[in-house]
Amino acid sequence: METFTYKITDPVGIHARPAGQLVKMVKGLSSKVTIAKDDRSAVATKLIAVMGLGVQSGDTITVTVEGENEKVDAARLRSFLEERL
Amino acid sequence: MGSSFFGVLQRVGRSFMLPIALLPVAGLLLGIGSSFTNHTMLEAYRLTNVIYEGSMVYTVLDIMNQSGNVVFANLALLFAMGVAIGMAKQEKDVAALSGAIAYLVMNTAIYAMITANGGVEAMPPNTTGESLGITTLQMGVFGGIIVGLGVGYLHNRFYKTQLPQVLSFFSGTRFVPIISTVVFLAVGIVMFYVWPIVQSGIGLLGNLVIHSGYIGTWIYGIVERALIPFGLHHVFYIPFWQTAVGGTAIIDGNIVQGAQNIFFAELASKETTQFSVEATRFMSGKFPLMIFGLPGAALAIYRAARPEKRKVVGGLLISAALTAMLTGITEPLEFTFLFVAPFLYAVHCVFAGLAYMLMHIFGVGVGMTFSGGLIDLTLFGILQGMEKTNWQWVVIVGIGYFVLYYFTFYFMITKRNYMTPGREEDGDVKLFTRADVEARKKGDSAGSGDAISAMIAEGLGGKNNLSDLDCCATRLRVTVRDAQKVSESLLRQSGASGVIIKGNGVQIIYGPQVSVIKSHLVDYLDTINEPDPEVIDENKEHQELVMSPLDGEIVKLVDVPDEAFAQGMLGQGIAVLPSEEILYAPASGVVQSVFESKHAVTLVTDDGAEILIHVGINTVEMEGAPFKVQVSSGDRVTIGDVLMTFDRGAITAAGHLLVTPIVICNSDEYQLVEGLIEGEITHGTPILRLVKGGK
Repeated sequence: METFTYKITDPVGIHARPAGQLVKMVKGLSSKVTIAKDDRSAVATKLIAVMGLGVQSGDTITVTVEGENEKVDAARLRSFLEERL
Repeated sequence: MGSSFFGVLQRVGRSFMLPIALLPVAGLLLGIGSSFTNHTMLEAYRLTNVIYEGSMVYTVLDIMNQSGNVVFANLALLFAMGVAIGMAKQEKDVAALSGAIAYLVMNTAIYAMITANGGVEAMPPNTTGESLGITTLQMGVFGGIIVGLGVGYLHNRFYKTQLPQVLSFFSGTRFVPIISTVVFLAVGIVMFYVWPIVQSGIGLLGNLVIHSGYIGTWIYGIVERALIPFGLHHVFYIPFWQTAVGGTAIIDGNIVQGAQNIFFAELASKETTQFSVEATRFMSGKFPLMIFGLPGAALAIYRAARPEKRKVVGGLLISAALTAMLTGITEPLEFTFLFVAPFLYAVHCVFAGLAYMLMHIFGVGVGMTFSGGLIDLTLFGILQGMEKTNWQWVVIVGIGYFVLYYFTFYFMITKRNYMTPGREEDGDVKLFTRADVEARKKGDSAGSGDAISAMIAEGLGGKNNLSDLDCCATRLRVTVRDAQKVSESLLRQSGASGVIIKGNGVQIIYGPQVSVIKSHLVDYLDTINEPDPEVIDENKEHQELVMSPLDGEIVKLVDVPDEAFAQGMLGQGIAVLPSEEILYAPASGVVQSVFESKHAVTLVTDDGAEILIHVGINTVEMEGAPFKVQVSSGDRVTIGDVLMTFDRGAITAAGHLLVTPIVICNSDEYQLVEGLIEGEITHGTPILRLVKGGK
């Protein structure tokens, strides 16, 4: 299991479009990914759940990656987040 | 229970109309053809020099005669197909094919059973006959009706059935003829055992009717007339006209069953010296009633109207009276007093029964194709001569009926102050007659048809409320989903002379122009932007509908100028360009989240669809300013609840587009997410159909 935290810098947070891109990206991974903000977490393939977290600019999310390729997938996710969010 | 029974009967009665509508034409061919090839008649009118066997004219007339005859001889097949068409909800062509096949299969199965059980000789006498060259049981038009109803049921049940992959070629409509063949093969076998019992029952009933004599004829006449308000008269008289209930005769060596069949067989036969009154007693009574009696009633209504209203009312009554006199279509006239004076209608029923009885007593043998107007009287009475028909009694009794109806109606209307047309209090009559005039106008101008159609559609509770629409000779017959939504007064304003609501069955009486009204209405409904109710209704348990959350115009998701939505990255769905500023709940469920910037809402419906509604494009940048959200996450909402209001002006002023995607985030869990509609819509209109099941 790989866990890392990331602080959102995108000024509008994870709104609809980035959430869609994130979910699409996660669906391409073989690992199981969850995203947590404060005490709430969401399976990252569930778009409505990801949007439901209401992640804003400046919020810190905790990303958990689990599976056979968890190391590679976690790295890819981190770079995706850094690039877009 | 009672009303659903009425609904089914109404459907059955209506499905009879297609084959019945052919009868006047077939009857004309037969009437003209047989009359002018009949030697006695030609001699009587001194035409033997012009029309003689071998001459061109004679041959043409004989062809007409035989062509008309073949229609009557094969009515059972026409009913098998026509009733199947009438009963089928969609894909009616397939039902017609299946009806024909099932009819052939059933009769062939019966033939095989007869052969296997010792042939025709082993059967009781008069129980077998030929249909389409197949030796089978004498089922008459009942055989066709049984097939039509059965096939109609099978069709509605199976025309959308999906078979397993390997057999998928035979799925859907192709499966209907297949299942019909199999089922009616079995029905044929069953009929071989069951029908003889039914036959003896019909025989007994027929005997009873024949031995009931004049009183029986009187009761027949009363019942027939009393069923007209319910539109069920076809169901009642068809057995008399077309089956052994109305008598059996041997004409030119053939067994003929049913009053109308007997009359036309006698008409086609060269041997007939007098038409069998035992048969025409179920028909002739209409002539004095319709050609003389009802016009008398019309005159009474006219005379009883207020003087200043007479002009308007007169036009209405003259056209209604002429319709009754010429064609024997009486509803337009009858419905002018049925609703305002039911008691008068009851009297009318009794008189009608008497007319049948008097014709019976005086031995009048005039048959008809469809109803008792002047056209039929001329062809089947006057032209056939007094010796054969005693038609003079129609006129003698008729004159009495005119007087009787005039005085009875005039006396009762004025004495009891019935509100027949032209007598109502001011406001009412204006509305009624103007609407009537409009209704008649629309017969020739398509332009005003739309206004009437809109009125009818609204009166019936909107396009979505219609499950089924058809018409018979004089009335629009509709099955609605919710009878509560039907507005009788609105329908009356559309020019109807009467409205009958029974359960979910609605009949609106317009008169003979109803087929034009129906065509206009169908065209109009096609232009109305509401999704096809059939689609919405099917497979109710597997599907979910999403309503429009906005008033506005539909935009396809692929046309949304935002790649994330257009490419379906956020799920499949549809978009609306709002024309108002309120966002309503598109389905019932729980609000999952409201975006911090308030421009989007997600909700999970009770059936599990995860819906994202995103007001405008890039509106996240407005940080909530133009949006006033009225719900918060965790709230339960039902369809039509207000979710938020928004300021269109502010959004456009900020340079954003208003187009609002509505997407299903968990589209993966559905095998189908389908847009139902295009163009202008109002909120609450179904816009998306979801069918569960992974892809």
